[in-house]
Amino acid sequence: MIDARLLESLDNATKDCISCGFCESVCPTLPASDYDLSRGARGRVLLGRALYKDLKEKGATEVNVADSFYSCLDCFACVHVCPAGVNAGEVSDIAKEIITATGSPLESQKKNVATMIVNSTMKYGNPLGLRKKAASWSEGLEFDGSSKTLLYTGNMYQLMPFSKSMGAMKAKLGNRAAERIAGYFKSHPQFIKLSGMFQDRTTREEMENSLRNIYALLRKSGADFNYLGEKEPYPGTFLYDLGYMEEFKEYANTVADLFRSEGVRRIITIDPHTHNVLKNNYPGVVKNFDFEIVYYLDLLDNKMFEPGEEDIEYHEPCYFTLREPVYREPEKTLSLAGNVHKPRRSGKNNFCCGGPSELLYPELAHSVSERRREQLEAGRGRRVVTACPICYANLNRDRDVTDIANYLSEHIKG
Amino acid sequence: MDLKDELRSIAGNHVFSAKEEIIPFLSDASYFTGDEPIAVVVPGTAEEVSKIMAVCSRTETPVVVRGGGTSLTGASVLKGNGIVISMNRFDHVLETSVEDKYVVAEPGVRLDELNYHLEQFGHFYPPDPASSRAATVGGSLSTNAGGLRAAMYGTTKNWVLGMEVVMPDGQVLQFGGKTLKRTSGYDLTSLMVGAEGTLGIITKAILKIWPLPETKGRAVAYYKSIESVGEAVSELKRLGITPMIAEFLDRLTMNSITRNKGLKFPQDAEYMLIIDVASTRESVERELSGAADVLKKFGPIEVTTTTDSGEMEVMYEARKGAYASLLTERERSTQRVVIGDIVVPASKLADTLKESIEKMKELGIHSGLVGHVGDGNIHANIYADLEDEDEMERVEKFQREFGAIAIRHQGSVSAEHGIGMEKMDLLIDEFEGKHSLGTLELMKKIKRVFDPGDILNRGKLLRR
Ligand SMILES: C[C@@H](O)C(=O)O
Repeated sequence: MIDARLLESLDNATKDCISCGFCESVCPTLPASDYDLSRGARGRVLLGRALYKDLKEKGATEVNVADSFYSCLDCFACVHVCPAGVNAGEVSDIAKEIITATGSPLESQKKNVATMIVNSTMKYGNPLGLRKKAASWSEGLEFDGSSKTLLYTGNMYQLMPFSKSMGAMKAKLGNRAAERIAGYFKSHPQFIKLSGMFQDRTTREEMENSLRNIYALLRKSGADFNYLGEKEPYPGTFLYDLGYMEEFKEYANTVADLFRSEGVRRIITIDPHTHNVLKNNYPGVVKNFDFEIVYYLDLLDNKMFEPGEEDIEYHEPCYFTLREPVYREPEKTLSLAGNVHKPRRSGKNNFCCGGPSELLYPELAHSVSERRREQLEAGRGRRVVTACPICYANLNRDRDVTDIANYLSEHIKG
Repeated sequence: MDLKDELRSIAGNHVFSAKEEIIPFLSDASYFTGDEPIAVVVPGTAEEVSKIMAVCSRTETPVVVRGGGTSLTGASVLKGNGIVISMNRFDHVLETSVEDKYVVAEPGVRLDELNYHLEQFGHFYPPDPASSRAATVGGSLSTNAGGLRAAMYGTTKNWVLGMEVVMPDGQVLQFGGKTLKRTSGYDLTSLMVGAEGTLGIITKAILKIWPLPETKGRAVAYYKSIESVGEAVSELKRLGITPMIAEFLDRLTMNSITRNKGLKFPQDAEYMLIIDVASTRESVERELSGAADVLKKFGPIEVTTTTDSGEMEVMYEARKGAYASLLTERERSTQRVVIGDIVVPASKLADTLKESIEKMKELGIHSGLVGHVGDGNIHANIYADLEDEDEMERVEKFQREFGAIAIRHQGSVSAEHGIGMEKMDLLIDEFEGKHSLGTLELMKKIKRVFDPGDILNRGKLLRR
């Protein structure tokens, strides 16, 4: 049985769609899938509608809807062009929640890779059980153990080398084989740590470099903060993104409890996804989630940057531009140290890097990122700068993309 | 080999047949739901299209060709059995010549993308249906789309120079060409424009382009009565003012824009009239105030002018989304929107609008009225519960009467949305009204010459 509340939200999210197709014209996964309409925004709304009707009338469905919704990047480009305010991203979120709900009639449509990630996160506090590796960037750095301010990496930068190599592996194996392997891992999560052997080394170096630069930028700006090291848990973003709401709620509460037991009052986030999940999703599932959440760029002393003349092409994170409230600090800070240009598809018309699909649909993610790279290359900037580790990992080829922290670190006075 | 295998041998994995892959192809922007195709093929080259058509010809398999899936008459969904060919992968602009004033585009290029491309050359392709964000070159040629800028530039048929067409038997033919003039036999290019995918499949189009106007300005007037709208537009035309766009919206439409886009309109305004002028920087203010003076003569609640492109753009987008925003304003959640699309000579606009509204009242029709009134085109967006027989009967009746009003005023039952599977009876009404049913017979003969097996878009446009 499906929760009546979920069914109602699916109804509400889809009922005003007249099928004009405007959303399809901006959806990055549609051209990237060679125009498989079920991998486009309108297709998702239409399938959401079909799912709603089936569930309401028959309590079940024979339509295999999962790939349509799981392939959604959740970028929210569609809602900005919908004349009726329909959001195919939200439709996908609701549908994923329906698929993953306990006792769902769509149980068989669950994705093994997703379940594997969920199980491992629940057990180890990290999607790949890699907390030790996640802390290695901080070796030799000093933190203030008594500070109530926490530098919280959320493990995002650290996960990128693995997500990249696993995506590549999956692309090689094909979806079926990868699903089978994941099916094994999901019931034997202890072996997941083996995945630590698979990592893209250059991505790892780049990511650790970014983390150390973020640390240095904050220190130079006079900030004091603690870091939990190997104790630092992943924030559970995947659980939320994959629709595992029951698990997300449970997990978020353990994370919040840890913050409390460590005496944390203020949390510095360093990537858009972690920032969003703490700021916008935690308060909905954790009672009195009253930590102050600040983004590290807000704490930087802007006077430390050397004005630069370099033309840079800035790729904005979808979370900072396509969702409210829009967060402009990355662009402002970058303009202190360079000439910022943005591709035609930016702002409310932003085009995703494809990253959110990397684990489940690596080929699709790659195809999206190729298109984005073309758009970025058509711009006036000589160097592409990203402000999110996922964007970095997906757009980068041979180190021709620069993370904002690394760019800023190159442009410090003196 | 069964059909699907044969299609796969041509188009590889660009063949869909699973239920979840098919469902999105059952809808376009109309209220029709198509029948389930045996398969959907998304070919990538004209050669593939040709091979697919040869197979379909041999196996007598009906074919619906689909572009952006924005048809308002069910022209892009399947009726009966058959397959769908989606032209979306034909998404490249192939050649642009500013000197010779043409662009060669593949049929799957969306109109807004085409115009973004042309903007880099200081040019544009004027046909501008409200759906231009999603609508494609192929689909808009096949419906002879009109849209907002038709007020100044005319409809699609004025802008098509030539095309490559795959015939139902698989032949690949060239019609027209790259020159602006050509008198070389029957104009088959023109015949293809508005043919709604019943004669051949466009795989390439040569389109005329035009320099972008130097600047634009806008005058907006709000009125209480519909006659004022009609008279104001007629007066503009009499005075030789040709607006780039002349759009009107009624209160219901304004309300949906307020709800969905947050734009505000004067409270007691029943109708909004938007007049854009395209001009030079030196003369735009003068032309705008000329237009505003005309608008002021017909008792407006308010008249404003602007040359702020940002402000103009926001309202332009909202107007283009008007149809798609309407479901939020319906009275019952089971209602959809059936859309009427008549056109009359501009001088008949005031009478036509008045009579149409009277007819709506008489039949108890709940609808939003909008229109490209610069060229006499009116849309009635009618709320209709497809399950409610009584309501559907009244809606159907209104559509026939709405068409009859247009015919009486020497207009047409379909200005720019085509016939599809929706207006086939209205098409007969139109030629009956002209005492010229022979025209329809001629069309049927043409159809048989192009497509003897009747496999292209069967069950649309012409009643068998
Ligand atoms: C419906 C479409 O033609 C419009 O004008 O909005």
